[in-house]
Amino acid sequence: MNLAYMPKKSKVDNLSLPEKSMINVKGLVKDFGKNRVIDGIDATVSAGEVVVLIGASGSGKSTFLRCLNGLETLTAGEILIDSVPLESKSSSLKRIRRQVGMVFQQFNLFPHLTVLENVIEAPVHVLNQKKDFAVKTARELLTKVGLLDKQNCYPGTLSGGQGQRVAIARALAMHPKIMLFDEPTSALDPELVGEVLTVMKQLAEDGMTMVVVTHEMGFAKEVADRVIFIDEGRIVEEGSPIQIFSNPQEKRTQTFLGRLSH
Amino acid sequence: MNLDFSIIPKYLPFLLQGAGLTIELAVLGIAFGILLGLVAALMKISHTPLRYIAHFYIWLIRGTPLLVQLFLIYFGLPQLGITLSAFASSVIGLGINSGAYLAEVFRGGIEAIPEGQTEASLSLGMGKFLTMRRIIFPQALRISIPSLGNQFIITLKDSSLCSVITMSDLLQTSQRFASRTFASLEFYTAAAVLYLLMTTVISALLRSLEWRLSREIRTRGN
Repeated sequence: MNLAYMPKKSKVDNLSLPEKSMINVKGLVKDFGKNRVIDGIDATVSAGEVVVLIGASGSGKSTFLRCLNGLETLTAGEILIDSVPLESKSSSLKRIRRQVGMVFQQFNLFPHLTVLENVIEAPVHVLNQKKDFAVKTARELLTKVGLLDKQNCYPGTLSGGQGQRVAIARALAMHPKIMLFDEPTSALDPELVGEVLTVMKQLAEDGMTMVVVTHEMGFAKEVADRVIFIDEGRIVEEGSPIQIFSNPQEKRTQTFLGRLSH
Repeated sequence: MNLDFSIIPKYLPFLLQGAGLTIELAVLGIAFGILLGLVAALMKISHTPLRYIAHFYIWLIRGTPLLVQLFLIYFGLPQLGITLSAFASSVIGLGINSGAYLAEVFRGGIEAIPEGQTEASLSLGMGKFLTMRRIIFPQALRISIPSLGNQFIITLKDSSLCSVITMSDLLQTSQRFASRTFASLEFYTAAAVLYLLMTTVISALLRSLEWRLSREIRTRGN
């Protein structure tokens, strides 16, 4: 099982290069009304790194993720995506969102469009790609997630696992530099979780920079380069999966992980 | 009893001509209404002061009778130097009136689309306008079609009020022959049957449109 902790091939390559910071978060604070959900987070994610955020529900981990592509406005602090500051101005937001793909717990596929149309929608209308070209790319991506045969189906006919894989292909069609996953398997039946995690694992091996909020500790142990434990809107502890899962230093991390194993 | 429907066939071409004008008024009226309703719905859900204008429009129109609105446009506006033909007044009146109701229909349809659709679209780099046009509105329209059809039928029937501002629609044509021949029951029955025929056809057309447009949504959840 320890084999899983071996650095992946792409990561070995990265070690020889200077670390390029893809996401840089400084002093992030987010309030919902009088409720402080994120209470001062500093974090850096390097290019090609897979970071898994864990924590109890309501800890602020999903809100943190949603701040990274501007779905939430920041109360205070700064976020740099590939050295470009995330501003609330819509033109700058649009530019950043093209580079940051997001996968949601509820998939959020467009129900009035076919699988193929879902995938080509943004490339055609945002990047102004020629339709033929976008379709070609989309078919390659659907092949990659194993759903080419579903290209003309409507999302309503897909299983949860298939829907989520289409959602991943849709996000990848924009050729993002970063992929954010917000509890991508939490809405799935247990037997469908594996097929989605397999696609995500493949993506990680291809060297994609990923930030993943998940309750799948197996995935975190196997795929993450770094695990961050968040509680009450703050980073309590972070480290390699082996540090966090085998030898957590903080009491709150120990309590959280202890509760999971019951 | 003095009832003789054999008088109708002779006048039927004129009645049908009147029915033609009725359809024309209803179609143009609802088309104008859809446009106004859409603009008002977007204004109403915007977080700008524009929404107060939409509120005012809907409040004003829903709170006053269509006949009064038609009188104001046709008889009242000339006093301000705005003289409109009876036809233009009718189309504008029906449009303004149906628009106020359609604004609420469209607003309901747009608000029924889950927030996640907007979030997914925005996170693909699509702007707010593109998101509305490509993602939200097509889904909202499908939801709105039954109510839209309902409003079309209401507008078709309401167009009979335009007979009062000199439009020779189905009702006015029937009225003219009824008073000339004293066969009131016959002519007004004929008018009622023709109105019923038109609304029935519209209902059937809308049902098939709804069926076709909801094809993909129908397959959800099986």
